[in-house]
Amino acid sequence: MEPLLRIEHANKHYEGTRALDDASFSVLPGEVHALMGENGAGKSTLSKIIAGAERADSIDIYWQGKRLEIASPIEAQRLGIGIVFQELDVFPNLSIAENIVIGNLQMERRAYVNWRELTAFCKPFLEQVGLTAAPRARVGDLRTGERQLVAIARALSFEASLILMDEPTSSLAEDAVERLFAVIRRLKANGVSIVYVSHKMKEIREIADRVTVLRDGATIGTRQAQDTTIEEIITMMVGRELATRPQRQRREPGEILLSVERLRTEKIKDVSFEVRRGEILGIAGLVGAGRSELGAALFGLDRIQSGKIRMGGHEIEPRSPREALEAGFGLLPEDRKLEGLMMQMSVGENTTMASLGRFQRFGFLRSRAESQASQPVHRRMRLKAASIRIDVSSLSGGNQQKVLFSKWLLKNPEILFLDDPTRGIDIGAKQDIYAIVEELAVEGKGILFVSSELGELLDNCDRILVLCEGRATGILDARSATQEQIMSLATLQERAA
Amino acid sequence: MLISPHARDGSNIFLQTGNLTDVLRQMSVVGIIALAMTYVILTAGIDLSVGSTLALSTSLVAMFVVRPGPANLFLHAAFAMGIAVSASALVGVVNGMTIAALGIPPFIVTLASMIGIRGLAKWLTNNENIDIGFGSDAAARFADFVNSKMVILGTFALLAVIFWIVLERTIFGRYVRAIGDNEKAGRYTGLPIRRIKIWVYALAGLLTGIAGVLYAAENHQGNPNAGVAYELDAIAAVVIGGASLAGGSGSIGGTVIGTLIMGILTNILRLKNVDSNVEMMVKAVIIVLAVGIQKSGKKT
Repeated sequence: MEPLLRIEHANKHYEGTRALDDASFSVLPGEVHALMGENGAGKSTLSKIIAGAERADSIDIYWQGKRLEIASPIEAQRLGIGIVFQELDVFPNLSIAENIVIGNLQMERRAYVNWRELTAFCKPFLEQVGLTAAPRARVGDLRTGERQLVAIARALSFEASLILMDEPTSSLAEDAVERLFAVIRRLKANGVSIVYVSHKMKEIREIADRVTVLRDGATIGTRQAQDTTIEEIITMMVGRELATRPQRQRREPGEILLSVERLRTEKIKDVSFEVRRGEILGIAGLVGAGRSELGAALFGLDRIQSGKIRMGGHEIEPRSPREALEAGFGLLPEDRKLEGLMMQMSVGENTTMASLGRFQRFGFLRSRAESQASQPVHRRMRLKAASIRIDVSSLSGGNQQKVLFSKWLLKNPEILFLDDPTRGIDIGAKQDIYAIVEELAVEGKGILFVSSELGELLDNCDRILVLCEGRATGILDARSATQEQIMSLATLQERAA
Repeated sequence: MLISPHARDGSNIFLQTGNLTDVLRQMSVVGIIALAMTYVILTAGIDLSVGSTLALSTSLVAMFVVRPGPANLFLHAAFAMGIAVSASALVGVVNGMTIAALGIPPFIVTLASMIGIRGLAKWLTNNENIDIGFGSDAAARFADFVNSKMVILGTFALLAVIFWIVLERTIFGRYVRAIGDNEKAGRYTGLPIRRIKIWVYALAGLLTGIAGVLYAAENHQGNPNAGVAYELDAIAAVVIGGASLAGGSGSIGGTVIGTLIMGILTNILRLKNVDSNVEMMVKAVIIVLAVGIQKSGKKT
């Protein structure tokens, strides 16, 4: 069968680093082709080139056997290439419907917007991705997961023959992932090809026909998904064998560090739980269940309407992140670029941002003391950065996350709320983060660990708090709990209704 | 060439030391304002009220210096300057508090105070210039002393050094850059965002007050119509110096260079007797070129 898209000899340089090194791969009509690799392997660069968002230094692109160039996103769209990017490029101030048709040449040629027609046009695509929000709702008011669904619906609306999905499930809860897979299978049945960029082994096994692995910008190989094993793919990705399961140390949870009683905010209805010293409490729930909102309440970002928070026996009511920090809270936010890092500032400056008071003498910052304090933390995080002076924006996603983590390691709070800390980062970095979380627990910290991946929660946590529509629907012992149990608690309200 | 540094007769008046220090003196007033404007722009803010605040400061210092005051000449001048500078700083504090507490965009808040403070300056002076004169009274001696090249250049240089050190070497400076880079992340890191913003606008008021005192001395008068469009000159100097209006990037060194470029350009055009209207057109082109060149330089 002739490939729909064939790429050969793709080369691309960014300042000093080689993003693509003679990479190649091809997509057959109607197949789901997974593109895998660690962060910095070149997956995102290759996707951007196919999408016309970046130009390669040199490349041969064949579309249906014809050699051509993709000079701009519009050209890619004209060829029939739809894109769902990792960095959600939606327009937050426009409505869902407008986001779907924007750039749609046929719809945009009209001089005025006929809302009824627009809504009707968008409806089937919204149904396909299972988005129930009104088409006229502002995209900025949606949660991250729902925004991604809008991006996918937009790609569907082009009737593209190839859809490129860059980490489409990185912010989706399990039920939404299932829905997405159903959509992918349907598209595949209609002869649409999917290029699926992901880190998640399980998904690849479930959805992909073929897998191409990139490492350091070069193509390592392509395998039939059925014939390969997870171990083989991991070995191809990292170039070495890797223990997939984190090593668990035995540790005894100590005294109660944090106790939350009938907490209520605008988004949280009724949540009670306790965290002991040395305990990792997982927090599970579907998109919109209130996982991030729980962090926002504890961290003084959302106003607390009722309920009690006790920290080491003292009742506290944080009204701002500053107060929460003083009480001993730390929060690793869900979106590292939007809420976590100063992207134009250096690795070192980001690391010390929350603990600058420590490096001051006579009113002046001592930069040597800063770097002396940062380096051990970076080593502990296994951060890969050429220097602490380089901009944090030049690092890969996994390393950026490690810088963000370093900031909190240095600040050293008693309770750390981790909001999906491994979202969109590669396996190696994930393992490093699991190891650090475990270490912090051994040190006697209390950890709250939010994740959309149930397996990750079961592997790393002691107990798992399940949220559903702002309520706590259960707390499970992670050693005996199953994914099915978590899912049934996470959908408890829905089924009761 | 319109902007070559040679006079019509071919002599190079531009490079004469007398002229060079004149250039520096002329740009000092705007330069001082631009230092504080750098901080404001680093936080992704803007301060449009500095031109009017400058007028308020010149008016106040002139009003109080021509009045009979303390017998001691130094005290008399210090008192007048103190009033002018503190009133200007107060304008900045009010700007900052309104922006930080009410969350109204800086553009709107400082646009309002640009109008209001201009009104205040005119009202206080009955819309008349207050001449300081050239005699041997306290006011004139104050003006003669402050108007020396040493004092004006020294003030600019000293403030530039202080602002540079504060930005590069203190927690406050680090926070100023951090807030402009990503205010939301700053909030999630527990930075004192409101306090930093109030300080940044207060400093803009303070430095504009100082610039106003220098302006009054240079012109031997307080003028409620002074400083029109100075906010734009200051912003232009900061932007030519490499700052982004989106916040987070910019430096004091860049702003000093930006101020020098603007000052030298003005000087060359004036030496060649270029029409002041043409001068504005040339400036416009230079601003866009300077920023355009930096942009293309960053991409590669």
